[in-house]
Amino acid sequence: MADNNNQISLSIFKKRWLKFKTMKRGYYSFVILLWMYGLSFLLPLFINNRALIVNFEDTYYFPAVADLIPGVNAYYAGEEFNQDVPGEAKYRLLKEDWETSDSENWLIMPFYPFSPYEDITTKGNKMYDPPSSTHWLGTDDTGRDVFARLCYAFNISISFALVLTVLNYVIGVSIGGAMGYFGGIFDLFFQRILEIWSSLPMLFVVIIMSSILKPSFLLLIFIYTLVNWIMLTYLMRAEFYREKTKDYVSAALSMGQTNSKIIFKHILPNSLVPVITYFPFSVVGGIMALVGLDYLGFGLPPPTPSWGQMLGVGLQNITKWWMVFSPVTAEFLTLLSIVFIGEAVREAFDPKVYSRLR
Amino acid sequence: MAPGGPLEKTIQEIQMGMMTQGEGGASGSGDLVGGVSLPKSALLELKRFYGFDKPIWQRYLIWLGGWPRAIKHRNIVFETDQAEIEKYVGKGTYVTVRKDGDNLSVYNTDGTENNIYSASLDNPEDVEDDGRYHGAIFETEFSGIFTGNLGKSYTYQQPVTEVMKPRFKVSILLGLSGWILSYLICIPLGIRKALNHGSPFDFVSSVIIFVAYSIPGWALGGVLLVLFGGGSFWDVFPLGGFHSPKDVWDGLSLWGKFWDQLHHMILPIIAWTIASFAQLTVLMKNSLLENLSQDYIRTAFAKGITEKRVIWMHAMRNSIIPIASGIGWIIAIVISGSYFIELVFNIDGFGKMGFMAILDRDYPITMGFLVIVVVIRLLANIISDIALALVDPRIRFK
Repeated sequence: MADNNNQISLSIFKKRWLKFKTMKRGYYSFVILLWMYGLSFLLPLFINNRALIVNFEDTYYFPAVADLIPGVNAYYAGEEFNQDVPGEAKYRLLKEDWETSDSENWLIMPFYPFSPYEDITTKGNKMYDPPSSTHWLGTDDTGRDVFARLCYAFNISISFALVLTVLNYVIGVSIGGAMGYFGGIFDLFFQRILEIWSSLPMLFVVIIMSSILKPSFLLLIFIYTLVNWIMLTYLMRAEFYREKTKDYVSAALSMGQTNSKIIFKHILPNSLVPVITYFPFSVVGGIMALVGLDYLGFGLPPPTPSWGQMLGVGLQNITKWWMVFSPVTAEFLTLLSIVFIGEAVREAFDPKVYSRLR
Repeated sequence: MAPGGPLEKTIQEIQMGMMTQGEGGASGSGDLVGGVSLPKSALLELKRFYGFDKPIWQRYLIWLGGWPRAIKHRNIVFETDQAEIEKYVGKGTYVTVRKDGDNLSVYNTDGTENNIYSASLDNPEDVEDDGRYHGAIFETEFSGIFTGNLGKSYTYQQPVTEVMKPRFKVSILLGLSGWILSYLICIPLGIRKALNHGSPFDFVSSVIIFVAYSIPGWALGGVLLVLFGGGSFWDVFPLGGFHSPKDVWDGLSLWGKFWDQLHHMILPIIAWTIASFAQLTVLMKNSLLENLSQDYIRTAFAKGITEKRVIWMHAMRNSIIPIASGIGWIIAIVISGSYFIELVFNIDGFGKMGFMAILDRDYPITMGFLVIVVVIRLLANIISDIALALVDPRIRFK
């Protein structure tokens, strides 16, 4: 840290960031989660049933890499590599064949050579295979690898929660901010809407909507935003209401600043603290919501890998413990680290020091 | 209209039934799709049964109770040039239906106008085109949610209120026990944590709270089921249900029933409690901690009041306010049940009923569920406000 004698004054965010860094639990959770989420976009390179590199008759193929880039065809028929299988090449079999037959051709499989989508129709996959060294966390009711699905679901869950939260924030900040800033009829009108809307049983409404609409990823986010924007709107309204009466706003007004400038340049930065501290918990809520909906069967369309769907299948097969424990543990660890982050963020942004007697 | 609605479902069932009857169930799958078409009259009958023969705004008004609901339909057919029909309407009474253009009017046999029955011609698209006029005579009544009639469930063939009653009891029993248990644990724990802020006890219990916050109660319930439900680990608790099957349950003594109930309820209640455990404890702790750092506590200590009295008589009374304001919210959850816990543990409660109604496209139950839950929530809001005013004398509704 800076020497006391020539102290440079740090910006408030810099100070908060430094404070956040000192909270080991939250900081390391943040770093680990960030890395894992980043890496999870490259999952096809690590967990895939398509080979990373195939060298067949001195030509190189990169099916797994092609998987990663949208729009690029990663499909190679078995015939292309002289493999006698219907449809796509079975790279695991191919590797075995080439290794046993001392062939010139070679291929490198990803670190964990199973795809989250390949089921019992692929040769060698069994239903309800207990955890072993091949299938680390066993297989599910259709012979899909639990570990592979778990990892892909991680990416989807976090993406869902992040997009949902950001969208909620945009709506919440704009409507809530406007409500608090302008007040009057606009405020009254939206207050009534919020009251009506918040007395609906949200989960039930979401289920009804998704049972009619058969949601995709984006549609599900849209539906959930529809019922989820209220919380943040209330928060922002209160915050703007409080800030509006402060002197700096009057000063800005008397200098002839426009409304939009006051809202975005003056009030918004000052009312960000509760918004930022609420962010991780909102993400937690988003993940829980997705898991719950998927469990009920009204979430992402199958065969999308999802913790909720896996848990649902697991609970129907209660003797197959790995199908219940794996998704619950994955969800638990993810949420726990986000909660740690949230706690550290709150502590950094909004430190509560309780003066105690005694 | 949602796909797979009751109308489509019934039509499909009838068609399947006709298939198997007619061809011994050995028909090719190609014939299954629209293979047998229903006669128009049967389709109309079905539409009438589900009330789908009217426009949506009328159905809504009927559901509310602001529009006469047509019941007990009887078909009538006018020949091309016929203008009057005598029709038996049950209970030994006959009425006369007169046709004047497209309007039908109902008269008693003695010629006076009949107020109980009315009649109407069917939409020509819905009936066989045989040159005759098809219509129906029916009774009307005003009955909707304003009169306490939520309609009749499609799946149970019972009034919705009758379907709800037993399930209500189950959810309330479960919710109340869970609620009481969570208050019994969380409030003392929160107080203890606040008084020992920063101590090892505080740290350890904080870890437990983080863990509890990060796992949804129903997911934990699933884990508990795997562990204790007799799958691959211990067989301590039953796999689900609210009590033993009816034949076993009826044979139990009162004491036996109590134990059976408790045995079935332990896991769901743990799952229920975990759901609110973290928030409630932290709320209690922070609220007490905040109050303990206020000036009036300093004053109280300065006056020489004992620590016990300061904490329990001064700080606690203010700290309980946020807890009390949450009471309505809890009541709403207690009554409306928890979809997840009831589903995981296969308990026939209110929440599960609502969820299954969506799956079965049971519109009367779905709508009734929504109405009741919303009403409960509104009442709960009022209860919250009253509770807040009761514990906080500074708040007065004037």
